[in-house]
Amino acid sequence: MSILRTEHLEKKFGAGNQGGAGVVAVCGIDLTIGGGEFVAITGASGSGKSTLLHMLGGITRPTAGRVLLEGVDLASLDDDALALVRRRRIGFVFQRYNLLPELSLVENVSLPLVLDGMSDARADEAALAALETVGMEHRARHRPDELSGGEQQRGAIARALVAKPAIVLADEPTGALDSVNSRRVVELLERLVAERGQTVILVTHDAGVAAAAIRTIRIQDGRIESDTHGVPHGLHTPTGGGA
Amino acid sequence: MITFGRLLLRQWRNRPGRALATAASVAVAVGAVVATWVAADASRAGYRRLTETVEGVPSIDVLARGGGRFDVEKLPALADVSGVRAVVPLFYRPTILRIGSKRVREIAVGVDAETLVSLGLLTLTSGRPCLGPDEVVLDTALAASLGMRLGDDVLFFARRRVSRLEIVGLAESKSMRWFAEGAGVIVDIAALADMSLALGFIDRARVVLEPQASRPHALEEIGRRLPAELLAEIPAGRSSMAEDVLHSANLGLDFVTGLTMAMAWFIVGNAMLMNVTERRRGFSLLRLLGATGRQVRIFVTSEAAILGAVGAVVGAAVGLVAAGPIAAGISQTLQAPDAALVVHPLIVPLALILGTAIAVAAAWWPAQEATAVDPLEGLSQAPPPPRGVPLRFVTLAVGLWIVAASIMALVLTERLPPQAAVPAGIMMLLAFVATTPVMLPPLARALAAFIPHRWRIEGTLAVEHILRQPVRTALTTGVLVVAVSNGIGLGHAIRDNVDNVRGWYGRMMRADWLLTHAGMISAAAAGEGPKTKTAEEEVRSLPGLQSVEGIGVATGRVAGQACVVVARDISADKPLPLEPVEAPEADVRQALARGEAVAGTVLARRTGIKPGDVVAVEVFGRSTKVRIAALVVDYTSGGSSIHLDRATARRLFGIAAADILLVTAEPGRAAALREPLAAIADTHAMLLRSFGDVRAFIDSIVNGVVGSLWAILGLGFVVGSLGVANTVTMHVLEKKRVLGLLRVVGMTSGQVTRMVVLESLILGLSGSLIGLLGGVTTALFIQLASQPLLGHPTSLSFHPGIVAANLAAALAVTTLAAWLPARRAARLDLLEAVSSE
Ligand SMILES: Nc1ncnc2c1ncn2[C@@H]1O[C@H](COP(=O)(O)OP(=O)(O)OP(=O)(O)O)[C@@H](O)[C@H]1O
Ligand SMILES: [Mg+2]
Repeated sequence: MSILRTEHLEKKFGAGNQGGAGVVAVCGIDLTIGGGEFVAITGASGSGKSTLLHMLGGITRPTAGRVLLEGVDLASLDDDALALVRRRRIGFVFQRYNLLPELSLVENVSLPLVLDGMSDARADEAALAALETVGMEHRARHRPDELSGGEQQRGAIARALVAKPAIVLADEPTGALDSVNSRRVVELLERLVAERGQTVILVTHDAGVAAAAIRTIRIQDGRIESDTHGVPHGLHTPTGGGA
Repeated sequence: MITFGRLLLRQWRNRPGRALATAASVAVAVGAVVATWVAADASRAGYRRLTETVEGVPSIDVLARGGGRFDVEKLPALADVSGVRAVVPLFYRPTILRIGSKRVREIAVGVDAETLVSLGLLTLTSGRPCLGPDEVVLDTALAASLGMRLGDDVLFFARRRVSRLEIVGLAESKSMRWFAEGAGVIVDIAALADMSLALGFIDRARVVLEPQASRPHALEEIGRRLPAELLAEIPAGRSSMAEDVLHSANLGLDFVTGLTMAMAWFIVGNAMLMNVTERRRGFSLLRLLGATGRQVRIFVTSEAAILGAVGAVVGAAVGLVAAGPIAAGISQTLQAPDAALVVHPLIVPLALILGTAIAVAAAWWPAQEATAVDPLEGLSQAPPPPRGVPLRFVTLAVGLWIVAASIMALVLTERLPPQAAVPAGIMMLLAFVATTPVMLPPLARALAAFIPHRWRIEGTLAVEHILRQPVRTALTTGVLVVAVSNGIGLGHAIRDNVDNVRGWYGRMMRADWLLTHAGMISAAAAGEGPKTKTAEEEVRSLPGLQSVEGIGVATGRVAGQACVVVARDISADKPLPLEPVEAPEADVRQALARGEAVAGTVLARRTGIKPGDVVAVEVFGRSTKVRIAALVVDYTSGGSSIHLDRATARRLFGIAAADILLVTAEPGRAAALREPLAAIADTHAMLLRSFGDVRAFIDSIVNGVVGSLWAILGLGFVVGSLGVANTVTMHVLEKKRVLGLLRVVGMTSGQVTRMVVLESLILGLSGSLIGLLGGVTTALFIQLASQPLLGHPTSLSFHPGIVAANLAAALAVTTLAAWLPARRAARLDLLEAVSSE
């Protein structure tokens, strides 16, 4: 069953008022992603990966085409409804600066729940559980600037999954991390898919990270260049590829 | 390598909003200072006109100690005494005028008419001032009654000869009152003295004071300069009922102007602080790349200087444009519509220099902070959490308190003039602002408890934002603290003073009808003629009277101090017209009936008289011992007065005549008395007014003064709101990323709006509450500062209306100021927010 589907998705930047050609960041992408998939999006810098991810997550609206999340056309939603979707159905992880500097780690993680009207105590409990999943419960009361980059990213993942969203979108979550920390983050995401059946879409430059995914979509100049379904390297040998 | 200048330009192009907001803050501050300054000047000019139309010109007379004329050479230079506007020698001479076949007895007054006209102290309805021995100016009303016109001749009978004088000008009766003493004929002083064979002599020199000058201080200073044979005194009967209102209004103006300056500092300081801290990381990066801390500081301060100068130019222009209508409105309120808008030539250059200097100074501190940290630490994403800040602020607050209290103590013991209370009061307010970082966290938390549960998350985040940046929030709140304190403090002081004066006037003058002399002829002059007495007798013979009280006023001296001796009938069936200090009314009434006196508090404080003392009172050269039974709160001649029962005054000093007659009718018969009283007033050249008229008259003055102060206060609120709006806007610009992140994790735009508005509201409320404390203190300060002027403690009352109005205004201002930036924050492009950095 598809959880996320796009139809002729397109995003142009800068065209229009200046009359210039503008940049076509994403162009005619049709994509279907099923529940429980672990998808890696790769491609050269500037190929349109982040733009695609932002459209999938309702952060920015496409200039043409549609995004259907669990059958709902995101374009049909107003800003507030979109905010609700982001809050309940989507978890985001960015490369850096994911956490609000004012709040402690546990406050950051519980934010989507509290925004949704959950009581502080219950939100705290859930946030601590999420932090436990990422192995960060011992730093729950610390502020982001007291944590290392990898710890911050694990915190961000905890926040992304605390509301048990249908889908987690991560834009180069390991970009700022060393290989050891990268590994831990990727393993975490893998566990999400394996243990909770969540869908994870991950943008990455790192072939090693991409290799963890079951399905790899390669983007070139805003179009899908290849879409390969493999098996996670944890289960098969990397060379054993094939559809 | 890129130069700093290029870097600066790029940064401005990148973030034009930030540079604009910073320059705008300087513009707001400079505009505020310019507009307030001009408006305050307009108010002062208005007050001056008001004082002059109400009670003549505030003045002090220099006379020969033994009476009679004195040699003008003996008069020392007085023009440089502080508060002196002009020194006007006067020469009076009874004379006979012949016009055609008519002969008229008149008093001629010799003055330098041309100078008076040029100083605005005499107004001609037509013609020009008289110059030589052949010219005369007549009172317009007198000329009309005699059927004389400009260009006509009159025969003037003087000691030396009979002169033929040409009428070259007609003077407005009202504008003559302050020096004419009933005279209707103005002649050049040298010519009149010459005609009287007394060249070089004058009767008195009337020293005209600036309305904001302190009369007691000027009196003292002038007295010190006079030779032994001359003495200075306050002209009798020229009671200064409005003087105290105006005095505290003037103090108030000084306060408001000073506080606007303080507010300007906060606004600019805040903007600079944000402008610099927002780029902390960039500066750290520059330093990591090899820039020295000094280079970064120079970079920051040059930017501040440029933005400051641009903002100051715009602000001065806006301030001047805004000042026009504001000043016009104030003049209108003060019933001086023809008062021209005067812009002090120094205002604009000073504002420009100040704006730039403040901007540079305000940028210095954050630049210092930004370069003081380790560059690597500066690269971390959030500024380090505050450490030790409250202690530093507490120290500052305590220091300010101590300085302010010391100044105040010196003011109260009269080692410093009352004006020194202004900087002290401002310091006191700054002390309150300095305590803000300490008081804000608990206040903000307490206020957050009142936020409805469904806005809990917005409230929590708002409080977090506030607590993270104590210095910035203190500065923002400071603007409000100042505006609110200002409003509450000044509002109370004005109200109290107004109520005091109104209450006093009501007590002193309670009657159905008042008969006064049209010109303010003192009892001394009136006492010589039987006129007034006859008027009193005529009034007393009218039917339907309940009581007639006569009030006579004469100049006297007690313990070397000039004072006014008030002799009045005290009606048994009316409340005592005096307000004794700590003495039962009944006792005071009995003491007065026994022939004892009461003294005004100001006089008592100046001479050290205490109840129970027996003092020598000198009136008309006669000195008599009188026992002072009690002290009374009084505004006659600024409270420098001695009150006696009329019978006592007649027996001791021969004060027989009444300058003022208070007529109370039997119940229901007041209206019937109008006609007969008007007839008596007519024959005796007196002025008949109902109590309602007097009330309305006093009210109109008081309302004008209060209105002008409110206008300037309102201006302060407008400036405050602009400052807050600017701060919140910058705050939102800076928080772009955080707000974007919040939206990404699911905050709706409505929630973001609410969060920003709540943050402002919490700041606004906290500021208002701290401002409330500051305001009550300010009120106390103004009251204390005017005590040396009043001589008696005025009770500090609490006016919930003023407090409520100020709090409401502050809240409205903050909500409105937050609304637009909040909307903007909610509409931020998510993508832009997420990808900024
Ligand atoms: N806000 C914008 N305005 C104009 N052009 C944009 C904007 N955002 C992205 N682009 C352009 O769209 C194209 C795709 O950008 P995008 O950020 O999606 O690339 P990416 O694949 O994520 O690259 P990277 O791996 O470097 O992060 C690029 O050419 C970029 O310059
Ligand atoms: Mg990208």
